[in-house]
Amino acid sequence: MDYQQLLLALLPDLLVVVALFAALGVDYSRMRGSRLAKRYQVACQISAAGLIAGLAVLVLQIAETMSVMETSTADGQLVLTRSTLTLKALLYAMGLGVLPLAKRDQITPQVSEYFALLLLATLGMGFVVTSRNLLGAFVALELVSLSLYAMTVLNQARRASAEAALKYLTFGAVASGFLLFGLSYLYGATGQLDLTQMTGLTDEPMLVLAYLLIFVGLGFKLALAPFHLWAPDVYQNAPTPVAGWIGSGSKIAAAALLIALLKPVSSTLKDALIPALAALAVLSMVVGNLGALRQTNLKRLLAYSAIANAGYLLVGVVAFSAAGNASVIFYILVYSLASLGAFGVVAVLTDTLGRDAEISDFNGCWKTTPGLAVAFLVFVLSLAGIPPLAGFLGKFYLFFAAIEAAPEAASWNDGFYWLVAFALIMSVVSLYYYLRVLKAFLVAPADDGAAIAPVKTGWAAGVTLCVLALAVVALGLWPEPLLDLLRN
Amino acid sequence: MTALLTIILSFIGALVCGLMPSSAHRRIRWVALAVAAAGLVVSMVCCVNYPGGKFADLVETDWIPSLGIGFITGYDGISLPLLLVTGLVAVCGVLFSWTLESRANQFYAFYFALIGGVYGVFLSLDLFLLFVFYEIAVVPKYFLITIWGGARRQFAAMKLVLYSFGGSALVLLGMLAVFFLAHDPSGEALKTFNLLELQQGQVPAAAQQWIFPLIFVGFAIMAGMWPFHTWAPTGHVAAPTAASMLLAGVVMKLGAYGCLRVAVGLLPAGAQDWAPWVAVVAVINIVYGALVALKQDDFKYVIGYSSVSHMGFVLLGIATLNLTGMTGAVLQMFSHGVIGALLFALVGTVIYSRTKTRMLDELHRLIDRMPGIAWVFIVAGLASMGLPGFSGFVSELYVLIGAWGTLSGWIVAGAGLGILATFGYTLVKIHEAFFRERKTSDPGDAEISYPAMTMPEKIGVAILLGSALLIGLCPWLLTDKISPSLELMLDRFPN
Repeated sequence: MDYQQLLLALLPDLLVVVALFAALGVDYSRMRGSRLAKRYQVACQISAAGLIAGLAVLVLQIAETMSVMETSTADGQLVLTRSTLTLKALLYAMGLGVLPLAKRDQITPQVSEYFALLLLATLGMGFVVTSRNLLGAFVALELVSLSLYAMTVLNQARRASAEAALKYLTFGAVASGFLLFGLSYLYGATGQLDLTQMTGLTDEPMLVLAYLLIFVGLGFKLALAPFHLWAPDVYQNAPTPVAGWIGSGSKIAAAALLIALLKPVSSTLKDALIPALAALAVLSMVVGNLGALRQTNLKRLLAYSAIANAGYLLVGVVAFSAAGNASVIFYILVYSLASLGAFGVVAVLTDTLGRDAEISDFNGCWKTTPGLAVAFLVFVLSLAGIPPLAGFLGKFYLFFAAIEAAPEAASWNDGFYWLVAFALIMSVVSLYYYLRVLKAFLVAPADDGAAIAPVKTGWAAGVTLCVLALAVVALGLWPEPLLDLLRN
Repeated sequence: MTALLTIILSFIGALVCGLMPSSAHRRIRWVALAVAAAGLVVSMVCCVNYPGGKFADLVETDWIPSLGIGFITGYDGISLPLLLVTGLVAVCGVLFSWTLESRANQFYAFYFALIGGVYGVFLSLDLFLLFVFYEIAVVPKYFLITIWGGARRQFAAMKLVLYSFGGSALVLLGMLAVFFLAHDPSGEALKTFNLLELQQGQVPAAAQQWIFPLIFVGFAIMAGMWPFHTWAPTGHVAAPTAASMLLAGVVMKLGAYGCLRVAVGLLPAGAQDWAPWVAVVAVINIVYGALVALKQDDFKYVIGYSSVSHMGFVLLGIATLNLTGMTGAVLQMFSHGVIGALLFALVGTVIYSRTKTRMLDELHRLIDRMPGIAWVFIVAGLASMGLPGFSGFVSELYVLIGAWGTLSGWIVAGAGLGILATFGYTLVKIHEAFFRERKTSDPGDAEISYPAMTMPEKIGVAILLGSALLIGLCPWLLTDKISPSLELMLDRFPN
């Protein structure tokens, strides 16, 4: 691969990096004395321009007007196929959606750092999904994590924020250690860094151990129980747009990496790993769903819902099939759209509130902010898995893939009927708390302890939420193109 | 395409009503009436055009081909009566909510989303599509009850939704099993949700043993099957009138329809093995529902439990697995749909809006104070009891004749006991509500006589009572359509 090719392949990332430095530079020099609102606006515009330019180049790459398709650099550092590029493009698009939300909540005077960190996190996610190299993917994932740790603590006025960030950092560092340990065992056993070169890994103890360590590391990033303890605090206390980005973009990156790591597994190793994955799935569903039942804070509730959803995700992983892998990526995408949307609505509604987002704060939103209430309805129903929204189809596809792995069950614990049944029961439980939230938004009378005044959504945030809601509806009604893409 | 219009119109109606300002409630109710009436007209056109036997008006397109999912709709003699009853109840629901003002736009948005989902279930010929519509119908119920409902509405709505989704979870699991296990006669896996193809293929008999109860119970929860019926009375009572009319009239039929079309239709061997158990549960439904109704003090609870009892006849008809009994089951779905809706409308709106109480011991000789309404209710109550001349009599007769001989004598005897109990509570409750003097000595408003029915109420009563009478006198209008389609289903049964 020559340098020109490499330049073309990395052009989207370069554009984002340029925007990142431009945002920092402009904010440090020309905008130093300006009003906070003005600085937020400029930084947001520069960052958005960078992401839009990057996105445009990505679209050209996917449309094959730029000949980067099927390129891969040495050791699988960069593997550009239609599906990896599409994932990257979606991440950039979602990152773009976070910007206007971040612009709204002006929680910190360190404006350009806020946006630079957002861009860095997005950049890292883009690398995670396009890399098939153990080290490359790890470094990219750390880039994501470090940016997110820093962003969590941006709101210095809140003590809880610092506590949450510290928790996030310490847990995260330990988890990264586990992940790196696992990856090094994987390298030690195969002598390969390139995931595309690995095939048919058998159930030798070294590899089993490697994968168990990897599950710990990625389990943390995905907020799987029992590695979930950071999630509720971070979701509640991080700035809301950041929490949204932790709950969506970083999940996509981690899930994509998990799938890439599990691809070379042979059927013997698979059988050794399934009990561990199934246990994590069951535990996450229980902890997430039962934990969410008693939450009164909306962001905390969404954290528990994230834990539960990570559990459902593993139901697709245990299938160890092409359909299973596609279903996992599809699910995490539609989950992320809905989750980002829900956080977006909360961000827009609470930035004037100046306190925690208690569920009862949202009483009567149907009257004060009907548009946002309807958007929130769409997002939450998708999280709950109600057709015809994308969340339902995502869940259905996960279960479909799990059953497909072994449809002819002679007893109850053959195949994954039991796991799917468990997940279904847990989704019924989850409906209780999702409806409780919707009750505040859509049912409760406006005068019932309402704290939300009518807010101006702003066109950028409004467009973002609209696009997210439409995407959730559209992917539920017409998922075939995306499914096709993910299966390849 | 004709039948598909019912679904499209309802969802468009939901959107239009939802976007209108809530202050325009007078205009909204006319829009709502027009949408509901259009749905009814389309169903009637379908009924007139239906050639008989097979599925008609098929629309087949791919939806998600990689998962074996298509968008396939059409109807046959089994779905036709249910389309009609949906149309009838939808129109009357609007008529009996004529005075609704609070958040009227949202009310009709949820109302028509629910109705669209219901039409969708009755028209879907793809298992996945059917499931999607089935679930679409659940969420609006929650909001209809929590926003516009009466006492204990939060509890009732949540209970109803959790029961519904619990049922759907069972159905979804069974549905996936059917998808992967069904094969065509040559033994090749079908891998499709297309009901028409699944009906031609078969599921291995051993698998049917465990899939049948999953799907049947999953759907039967919505049909109010004992012991999962408890959502029904609480839900019916807490719901606003139009919603409880839909719940009793149509939503419970969704469950029964699913039992018949999916569980029995696709898993005949499983059905044959489980039929005796279904019959036992059905008889418990009939007797238990009737006896509990006898003990209720709240007028709406009486009707709620009578619904549970009447749905028992539907389940019993399905359990007979013969043409007569199953025809009776489908006819009973229609019959209870119109009569149940009528009773809820009378108790929930017509009587309650005048007396402001539903407690039977607070009512004082209503026969003198609202004679017209009282007589209408007495006729409706007798129709529900199974008075010859009304549809309930015919359908229950069909079910009992079907059960005679096929099912054990104890079952038939039990059903007979249930009918006696039905006579009991109907007559006792009519006496308590209309003829008895108030127990408390408080003279209060005892001498006041109440205003007569308003025009929308009169029209609603006329439509519902008229259709029950029409089918009671000319049951062949429906049975001629139901039986040939059921025969096709029964032809696929192994002997």
